[in-house]
Amino acid sequence: MANAASGMAVNDECKLKFMELKAKRIYRFIIFKIENQQVVVEKVGSPEETYEDFTASFPADECRYSVFDFDFITDENCQKSKIFFIAWAPDTAKIRSKMVYASSKDRFKRELDGIQVELQATDPSEMSLDIIKSRAL
Amino acid sequence: MYGGDEVSAIVIDLGSHTCKAGYAGEDAPKAVFPSVVGSIDQMEVDDAANTDTNSGAAMEAKSNAKTPDSDKNKGKRKLFVGSQALGYRRDQMEVVSPFKDGIVADWDIVDNIWDHAFRECLLIDPTEHPMLLAEPSSNPQQQRERAAELMFEKYKVPALFLAKNAVLTSFASGRATSLVVDCGGGSTTIAPVHDGYVLQKAVATSPIGGEFLTDCLLKSLESKGIKIKPRYSFKRKEVRPGDFQPFDLDFPSTTESYRLYSQRVIASDIKDSVCRAPDSPYDESAYANIPMTPYELPDGQTIEIGSDRFKVPDVLFNPPLAQTIPGMESFSEFALSARGLSQMVIESINKCDVDIRRELFSSILLAGGTASMQQLKERLEKDLLEESPQAARVKVLASGNTTERRFSVWIGGSILASLGSFQQMWFSKTEYEEHGASYVQRKCP
Repeated sequence: MANAASGMAVNDECKLKFMELKAKRIYRFIIFKIENQQVVVEKVGSPEETYEDFTASFPADECRYSVFDFDFITDENCQKSKIFFIAWAPDTAKIRSKMVYASSKDRFKRELDGIQVELQATDPSEMSLDIIKSRAL
Repeated sequence: MYGGDEVSAIVIDLGSHTCKAGYAGEDAPKAVFPSVVGSIDQMEVDDAANTDTNSGAAMEAKSNAKTPDSDKNKGKRKLFVGSQALGYRRDQMEVVSPFKDGIVADWDIVDNIWDHAFRECLLIDPTEHPMLLAEPSSNPQQQRERAAELMFEKYKVPALFLAKNAVLTSFASGRATSLVVDCGGGSTTIAPVHDGYVLQKAVATSPIGGEFLTDCLLKSLESKGIKIKPRYSFKRKEVRPGDFQPFDLDFPSTTESYRLYSQRVIASDIKDSVCRAPDSPYDESAYANIPMTPYELPDGQTIEIGSDRFKVPDVLFNPPLAQTIPGMESFSEFALSARGLSQMVIESINKCDVDIRRELFSSILLAGGTASMQQLKERLEKDLLEESPQAARVKVLASGNTTERRFSVWIGGSILASLGSFQQMWFSKTEYEEHGASYVQRKCP
């Protein structure tokens, strides 16, 4: 357990939706938020949705957690996919929101089994498609 | 589990220079006062009391004196805590710190500081409030247990939590992984935090903090013939209507440590008002002709500060520079062994796992009292860009809000302790009674 963890609970639906994304691949992404002292699913994106649709789903001045199923082609022309976990904490978010999300992250991430790459972003440039691509390879 | 979220918790961040204390859930600490205290030896007084113990009246007087005040006489000395008590000059009063090399060496002083915070600043009954204490990132187990013992046994607090400075700062900036550069009063600490854990092996500390810079400024001004008169050493009198002149007062029984403390208070204000980190390493000749900045001392004399404005902050980046300041030679040994800020950052990151170095380089958080120094963030970022590996994307972050920058540790603790979900995380009195002080390691890892 991390030092100074918040003790925030995780709603069962988070795990369920994540398993569906991982195993059945019926979602492109999931956005999670903290509400009433637990982490809940805020939004899911269908497999047709793009990375732009995903980034547009983040509020400009509030924190969120998210997972994204990223499809890409390797240098050897091989079709692959990787599951990203992105913690969104914009500079403009209230300090309280930043503290709550950061101190609950470790516990929450442990519930999601199968994350391959992790990112934390405080502005859109830190989670640009180029960065996602470079981290996937 | 501690279930009392009805009363608000108390958050205390006892730094090497300043103690920050207040109610959880608030935006800033209610009480901010020096971590050093005044101390007067009580030898003679106690001896006098012992000689007439056979008289019943004296016995009664002694037992009546069993107020919180009598605790302060422990170790045959009287302690004076808080800005006001310290601001008043007393004969033979020494200024002492509870810390030695960043960890608590004198628990009696800490006890008095806590007591002052509870009873004189916050006006609370500690038995009713859970306490969250911020602690240094590499606080030894023995120290943590000592803190738990004192809190539960003496103050009888219902619950306690020890949170690490660096973790609180990191979380308060929205990051579970970051490199925290804490430029404090007594020292500078670099601590990598990964997913809420402090990577202990990579923590780096240097004794160069705000106070060292203050001393550099003080000595440098003295070498130029500028004498900073402590506030107690003169009185300003109106000689003609509207015309005030300082008159020197003589207090031969003032201790050297108190005189220095009083001078530092002034020098520290000069530093905060005029100093600024230079854009590139300080160069004597380049700054020889810079315009002077005026500063009015408390005694009314106006002094002019030139190159020292830039030279003093540069000591953070280049400690051996302190040797060129007359009067600072005594520190030459540690100024030589201490490393510069950017060098420490790079060394600390290189001690971490290769996989997280990139992330650390892009989340360097600047916090602490000295972090408010003008241009410090920009200079650190510039130096790191030059010295870091090519692929690294260097980003130094500091809250734009000076209160948040200065009190990031306290604010992080304040938010954490006020969360409904956190109430199950406290180390409760019942758990302490059942498992003992060592259980603090389990509850507050």
